[in-house]
Amino acid sequence: MDMTGQYRIGAARDIVWAALNDVEVLKLCIPGCEEIEQLSPTTMTARVVQKIGPVKARFEGNIELLNIEAPASYTIKGEGQGGVAGFAKGSADVTLAEDGDETVLEFTAQAQVGGKLARLGSRLIDATAKKVATKFFDNFHTHLTEKGPTGG
Amino acid sequence: MSTGIGARVKRKEDKRFITGKGKYTDDIRGDNQAYAAFVRSPHAHARVKGIDIAAAAAMDGVIAVLDGKQLTGDGIGNIICGWAVSSKDGSPMNMGAWSALATDRVRYVGDAVAVVIAESPAEARLAAEAVEVDYEILPANAHADRALSKSAPQLHDNAPGNLIYDWEIGDGAATDKALAGAAHVTEMALTNNRLSPNAMEPRSAVAIYDASDEHYTLYTTSQNPHVARLVLSAFYQVAPENKLRVIAPDVGGGFGSKIFIYPEEITCLWASMKTNRSVKWTADRSEAFITDAHGRDHHTTAKMGFDKDGRIVGLKVDTIANLGAYMSLFSSSVPTYLYATLLSGQYNIANIHCNVRAVYTNTVPIDAYRGAGRPEACFVVERMMETAAREMGRDPAELRRLNFVQAFPHQTPVIMAYDAGDFDANLDQAMAAADVAGFAARRKEAASRGKLRGLGYSSYIEACGIAPSAAVGSLGAGVGLWESAEVRVNPVGTIEVLTGSHSHGQGHETTFAQIVAERFGIGLDAVSIVHGDTDKVQFGMGTYGSRSGAVGMSAIVKAMDKVEAKVRKIAAHVLEASEADIVIEGGQVKVAGTDKAMGWHEVGLTAYMAHNLPPDMEPGLKESAFYDPANFTFPAGTYICEVEVDPDTGETEIVQFTASDDFGTIINPMIVEGQVHGGIAQGIGQAMLEQVVYSDDGQLLTGSYMDYAMPRASDLPFFSVHNAATVCPNNPLGIKGCGEAGAIGSPPAVINAITDAIGNNNLAMPATPQAVWNAIQAAK
Amino acid sequence: MTKVTMIVNGKAVSREVPDETLLSDFLREKLRLTGTHVGCDTSQCGACVVHVNGRAVKSCSTLAVALEGAEVTTIEGLSNGELHPMQTAFNEHHGLQCGFCTPGMIMTSVDMVARYKSEGRKLTAEAIRTELEGNICRCTGYHNIVRAVEDAAGKM
Repeated sequence: MDMTGQYRIGAARDIVWAALNDVEVLKLCIPGCEEIEQLSPTTMTARVVQKIGPVKARFEGNIELLNIEAPASYTIKGEGQGGVAGFAKGSADVTLAEDGDETVLEFTAQAQVGGKLARLGSRLIDATAKKVATKFFDNFHTHLTEKGPTGG
Repeated sequence: MSTGIGARVKRKEDKRFITGKGKYTDDIRGDNQAYAAFVRSPHAHARVKGIDIAAAAAMDGVIAVLDGKQLTGDGIGNIICGWAVSSKDGSPMNMGAWSALATDRVRYVGDAVAVVIAESPAEARLAAEAVEVDYEILPANAHADRALSKSAPQLHDNAPGNLIYDWEIGDGAATDKALAGAAHVTEMALTNNRLSPNAMEPRSAVAIYDASDEHYTLYTTSQNPHVARLVLSAFYQVAPENKLRVIAPDVGGGFGSKIFIYPEEITCLWASMKTNRSVKWTADRSEAFITDAHGRDHHTTAKMGFDKDGRIVGLKVDTIANLGAYMSLFSSSVPTYLYATLLSGQYNIANIHCNVRAVYTNTVPIDAYRGAGRPEACFVVERMMETAAREMGRDPAELRRLNFVQAFPHQTPVIMAYDAGDFDANLDQAMAAADVAGFAARRKEAASRGKLRGLGYSSYIEACGIAPSAAVGSLGAGVGLWESAEVRVNPVGTIEVLTGSHSHGQGHETTFAQIVAERFGIGLDAVSIVHGDTDKVQFGMGTYGSRSGAVGMSAIVKAMDKVEAKVRKIAAHVLEASEADIVIEGGQVKVAGTDKAMGWHEVGLTAYMAHNLPPDMEPGLKESAFYDPANFTFPAGTYICEVEVDPDTGETEIVQFTASDDFGTIINPMIVEGQVHGGIAQGIGQAMLEQVVYSDDGQLLTGSYMDYAMPRASDLPFFSVHNAATVCPNNPLGIKGCGEAGAIGSPPAVINAITDAIGNNNLAMPATPQAVWNAIQAAK
Repeated sequence: MTKVTMIVNGKAVSREVPDETLLSDFLREKLRLTGTHVGCDTSQCGACVVHVNGRAVKSCSTLAVALEGAEVTTIEGLSNGELHPMQTAFNEHHGLQCGFCTPGMIMTSVDMVARYKSEGRKLTAEAIRTELEGNICRCTGYHNIVRAVEDAAGKM
């Protein structure tokens, strides 16, 4: 299932773009993110805790930024191993459009799980993925908005 | 009260089960017991680039972490498929290598790559989680219909295009010609949904290695412990047969899934030797869903042609059968010799052709599940018959009757020669019991309540009593399919019967005792049935394919014939009479027409005392026999299902389910009816509830009872079960077999009933409320 | 590790167990009462049902340490000498085949009949089927189980 969303952010596109590439911002905004470490400008490792239905798992994995068209769009891709719980993969295509002083962020995201997560939690994957994606962009929106429209 | 053939004797084995004293494999604890946990692939298809066991090996309680390289390095052989099926061009089937622990590649979610042996189950599991496997993920495919496409990922190098075999049976040209000349042709695409057997006892193995003797004992959940020992010895090289004892104690249901020898049993035996510990593994249900062989998964198109009078002129069937990621023990035979040979159903069909392509997919291996091929055949034939009747405007019962085989023996164009049956009698009995005459009024009354009421038939036939060894040998089977028995009369007259059949719910301890007690005129309690232990029982083939009655009990009868012959000789000698005048009844061995008699126990004593035996007679009273069946047996019958559908929700209630079966001679009607109930429940489960679902990339999405819909008490009705039998002419008791009939006959009856109710014939299994509702909407 | 003491089948038992020990494991592995079976890992199948303080409970989803002082009855403790009417009825009506789900079925059914009796409600076949929602049997199609419970209900 593809999930899509749109946010209007009261900040200039450059500022939004910078935030989307800021590992500290990503850490704050990725739901359940305990740790994130930058390996290169486009690759990171992360530890994320997620609960999907009856299965709660700590995912160790990688985050990668690709298809970068600064400052207009990129794809953020994550993939993590949750031990005996299985694995989860997700990606989101993010585009930023200028609209006066504001920026319109649009995303299309997909998620995929495997192993025990798929067997026990498959009914809940779509709902959980949607919640995770929405929460991320909500957090991101809130983060930038609270910092003020000029980005501080 | 009689306890002989035909008596509803209460089960002797029940007492231990109802008091919690049953002994199942997981209840057994070996000396110095350690526990195994498997490291399994979460990916449907991946290359194994490396396995790092360091962290796991250092954890508390861990005794060993073992992988596939060590297993193959110790010479443990690959898992085999024991039935060779060739393609129509003569080429052998393409069997991909399957190691109990994968070495370089995993091909389904659940494929084992390593095993942890630890002091406790919890420690084993924790450490298994800490084994780090480096996977290179490969594209995967779960669907049979996609497996043959050019874009599908390749599973095995020696199976190009994922094709295992392209097999056919029957005369294709003649069938095409018959269909071309038909007055009416019914054409359908039918899917037989993928199922998980789900015996309630999860599979389990306790392997006990005795280093001083280099001897192995394996307690395991098996329907056929001798076959397990043979395969473990001869093919997997775990240990020679004389150094391996396999015991299948109380086994909590099988339904086919416990026929096969799985990676876990092999690994536990080997690991027991490696660690010099007893090693136990018991599946949890999640593990069962990804390791127990699944069933069915056929994708079929079929054409059935009729002449202007409604007589069938030809049937052409094309099937793609999913066998999963590897070929399980009897997987090859299920969609071929156990399927296409039954496509004649109960009917005179002069021309039949069936083509079957078996394919690999990134899913759990598929093998025999209750019915094994025959439910798939029955579903094709009986859906086609009902549909054809509707299309031609004929009564579905009368169309069947018009085409029934009436004269026996009857040779079909697809190998099978039906030996006996009275299909009209079963149809008549079912129609009377189901009150088909009153259906129109019931339908009208239901309509007044806003419900759609429908009625569907299924006249099934199956081939059981598997099977004449020479016949199955000529078709590629790697074993003979006889059965063995030994009847031991003790010095005081009590009797032990050692049988190669295995009971995992079928009640052999009762029914087998019934025929022995009756034959020798002794009490049921004086007869004990011994089974399931290769150290106690002579080689036997085990229980599957509804064969314990027709084959297993026939072997007992043969052994009893020999015992009786010796008893007659002894009695004639002691009583100074002619052997021909000896009669055995009421616990006595008598001379007919006189008052000369000796007690049954005295005969035993005489045989063992050996003070007064006929010249040249050996002491003792113990005889054994092997029985190789003369033909398959052909249980048949008619099932009628009546449903009510709520058109607003699609919810379907089975309001009446009627069965009329012909199982030949019935030893214990209570037990036989129980077998029918359980079979029908599984058939209704297939038709309305159950479905194994994989995502396109091979993730199992129905991995627990929260998602895989097992039939519950509230999903099912009481069943109206009847019997109209013809005696099987090919075995001494006249038995045909009853274990699978319910699961074979019921799915088409249910779907025929629902489609009749909703007026849309396009409905796949399982007919969930959503599927039924959608079909109702589509018909509007 | 926590020490837990409970009355099992009328006898006081005390064991030191890890806190995460399930009652089913406690019974099967610590006390070797193997009549209580485990048929699934999602609390669906009911093979593990025992009585805790007189009520049917799924022992696979109950922690042993939470039962300090509780009275537990397993299938082994249901009859004292004579079979319980429910056990007899399962035999009489052929309500079991492989026997694996049977202990849970019997324990659930005994509780069911007792509840309906104490509440003065009539236990119909339909009610029995609904009450057996949490107990899965793969062998019998439930036909003879329902008959057995109906019969035993009249004798309890």
